[in-house]
Amino acid sequence: MDWPALSLSLQLALATMLVLLPLGVWAGRTLAWGRFRGKALLEALLALPLVLPPTVLGFYLLVAMGGGSALGHWYQSITGHTLAFSFEGLLIASVLFNLPFAIQPMQRSFEAIALEVREAALCCGMSRWRILRRIELPLAWPGILSAMVLTFAHTLGEFGVVLMVGGSIPGETKTIAIAIYDRVQAFDTAAAGRMSAVLLGISLAAIGLSYLIRPSPGRVQHG
Amino acid sequence: MHAPKRALALSLTLLWACLSHAWAGSPVVAAAADLKFALEQVAAGFKAQGGGEVRLVFGSSGNLYRQILQGAPFGLFLSADEGFAVQLADAGMTQDRGVLYGVGRIGILVPPGGPLKADAELKGLAQALADGQVQRFAIANPEHAPYGQRAEEALRHAGLWDAIKGRLVFGENVAQAAQFALSGSAQGGVVAYSLALSPALAKQGDFALIPADWHAPLRQRMVLLAGADEATRAFYDHLQGPAARAVMERFGFILPDAP
Amino acid sequence: MVDPETGARGLHAVLHQSGPIPLAAEILCAPGEVLALVGPSGSGKSTLLRCIAGLYTPREGRVACSGETWLDTGGGIRLSPARRRIGMVFQNYALFPHLSALENVQEAMASPATPQARARALELLDKVHLEGLSARRPRELSGGQQQRVALARALARDPQALLLDEPFSAVDRATRERLYGELAELRRELRMPVVLVTHDLDEAVILADRLTLLSRGRSIQSGAPLEVMQRPATLEAARLAGIENLFSAQVLAHCPDGGFTLLAWNGDQVRARLQPAFPVGTRVAWAIHTAGVLLMPRNRPPRGRLDHPLEARVTGMLGLVDRVRVQVLVFGQAEQALTMSIPRHLVDRYAICEGGSIALRLRGEHIQVMPDEVSSASGPIQ
Repeated sequence: MDWPALSLSLQLALATMLVLLPLGVWAGRTLAWGRFRGKALLEALLALPLVLPPTVLGFYLLVAMGGGSALGHWYQSITGHTLAFSFEGLLIASVLFNLPFAIQPMQRSFEAIALEVREAALCCGMSRWRILRRIELPLAWPGILSAMVLTFAHTLGEFGVVLMVGGSIPGETKTIAIAIYDRVQAFDTAAAGRMSAVLLGISLAAIGLSYLIRPSPGRVQHG
Repeated sequence: MHAPKRALALSLTLLWACLSHAWAGSPVVAAAADLKFALEQVAAGFKAQGGGEVRLVFGSSGNLYRQILQGAPFGLFLSADEGFAVQLADAGMTQDRGVLYGVGRIGILVPPGGPLKADAELKGLAQALADGQVQRFAIANPEHAPYGQRAEEALRHAGLWDAIKGRLVFGENVAQAAQFALSGSAQGGVVAYSLALSPALAKQGDFALIPADWHAPLRQRMVLLAGADEATRAFYDHLQGPAARAVMERFGFILPDAP
Repeated sequence: MVDPETGARGLHAVLHQSGPIPLAAEILCAPGEVLALVGPSGSGKSTLLRCIAGLYTPREGRVACSGETWLDTGGGIRLSPARRRIGMVFQNYALFPHLSALENVQEAMASPATPQARARALELLDKVHLEGLSARRPRELSGGQQQRVALARALARDPQALLLDEPFSAVDRATRERLYGELAELRRELRMPVVLVTHDLDEAVILADRLTLLSRGRSIQSGAPLEVMQRPATLEAARLAGIENLFSAQVLAHCPDGGFTLLAWNGDQVRARLQPAFPVGTRVAWAIHTAGVLLMPRNRPPRGRLDHPLEARVTGMLGLVDRVRVQVLVFGQAEQALTMSIPRHLVDRYAICEGGSIALRLRGEHIQVMPDEVSSASGPIQ
């Protein structure tokens, strides 16, 4: 059992969730209620990682933040080490790759809040901040929670992107998915089996939780 | 509002944790996949002597070379083909031109009880091919793995390349090729001698060395990269010492003369 | 419009827009007054209400209440609904589904978390007859109860104007009647202008002090409800007020001493209430509400001064609970259709049936003369 790899995967999943929570709420809200030109195109772009092969994303990320890129150079000049093959690089890849998993459930649950309810909140004299805190977030929380759980599970399972952008450095970019791959190559099927079982268990628990908290058809429409 | 402030603090803490850990950490060594078991033993010995943790990353030499070019933070590179090490030196990415640490060998590896028999002249392979008993045969990817290139050369030398090339399965590196060869979905493969000698594989299959003159030599060179720290240099020195050389010899590498 | 009692000024809105929803209306509502905005669907009445609330901004407009300017497109003033002290009751209640009735009302107050707010919220719920139900969620309340919570919530803000958007349309009839009573009771205490949007004319008559008829975003006529309904100024207003008895006639003479205007209609001469504004000899339109068409009583029929007897044949009868809507064809120069509303007991007593003849009278006091619209688009003018 490669504990550093598991710990690294959990850290990556947690960090991705932390970044995508505010980002997802903001994007989900804006897409749920906003009407602007190019909205359909934006939604399609945000949904792209659902169908994009991970290696394609990995490739573009390498181009964008690898050693030869402007971003990579800038990062290196500030921090002294590369963006690719680092945890931060993985985090960027993970955030991008999880955008639809985070945004879409949140968007759906914001959409389910009736316009009249929000208008009523305004007419009650509530400030926009207060409406977000007291009305919108409590009503949308199943979608938000579902989004976070999906992001967590999906990040744990990332392989293709991590392989291309991470380089499998122990303690830095060697996630548990990579560790399993590594153990198989080393003919250590016992270890590979143990780690796979753990990952399977965590993923199952996560996806089961997200289905449990989904609103049932009976109580779907609010207001 | 406390919630967003708390979240911000949490994420900043996490970010700081990410940034601070590992960068001040132990040496990161990139090594060709044929060293998978050998180098792990050497590193264990180094640690037992009080040398500290060494983090090992295995892959095909070509892949690792590419990653180093892209800025991967390795301190030491052990390449199965010295050409990659030399190119890095020419590009100014290394501290010097490194040292030869051994010469590798290839051989044919087959699972026991299969239609294919392992023998040095590859006659068994030729026979099985003619009989149509070979559906899949594993080698490392010749595009970027030195062991794959040598496997191709050897197969050409034996006159088997045309017959077998349509049935080849490519491992991403020679360790994966070995795994394919013994997985049961292939009838065998050409892999590194050092892997076949490892305890993990030795009991899983039959192996026969292929004559060294059937292919270009596998001169293996290791080189310290620019920016390598003291701990890495210590490991580099250890690799040239008697304890490490003994391990390498046990794994079938032909050693250069002691420095 | 300064209310002498409170010294506060009421609500005044002027709104103009050519599209996407056409608007051309002026709305005036004094403090303590209930103004009903009445019109068919698509007449823009909800849009006007939303303009006052700040949920919709017209191309041009000015909205002011109690001396505060809430909207002035010319002057660049546009307060958001939260900054306007309004209380709004929505058609489908729009209660916060995850909060209890009490919490719903508390949220509308300035400092919702304080014990004073809680006490006041409980007080308001009592006032709308919901004592004991404060802990229930909206889904545990009936439609009528939810509407009461919505009302309490609207009042919680101590608003400068109370806006009601078809508040009773989603509720069943029995509950609606009860709510009318409660609202009527409540409004004695309300000191602010109240604007009620409804498509139901009867509701407007029951609840409102003043009524404005709307059609396609334009205010057609304003005034006391009965006044507007029985004395429409134009054919369009008459149609909007639901009057079906619309006819064409010619002014023969005005008789100020007798207090009547003589009209030539259907080969006959009919006396209408004196309306000297129409020159003699002009073609006019006239309307009479069903309240002005009555049966001729048997045995020594009394005649009002301006009564006009008619013979007609019953062509259709539509029975309601306590009345019957009767369609008749009046004999005369041409056959003129008339609609009247007769209490059931009279239908039985006089044995009125389809195809039978019927004696009735028009009450001239109820005849409203209007300009004839030769090119009027719709409506049965005969």
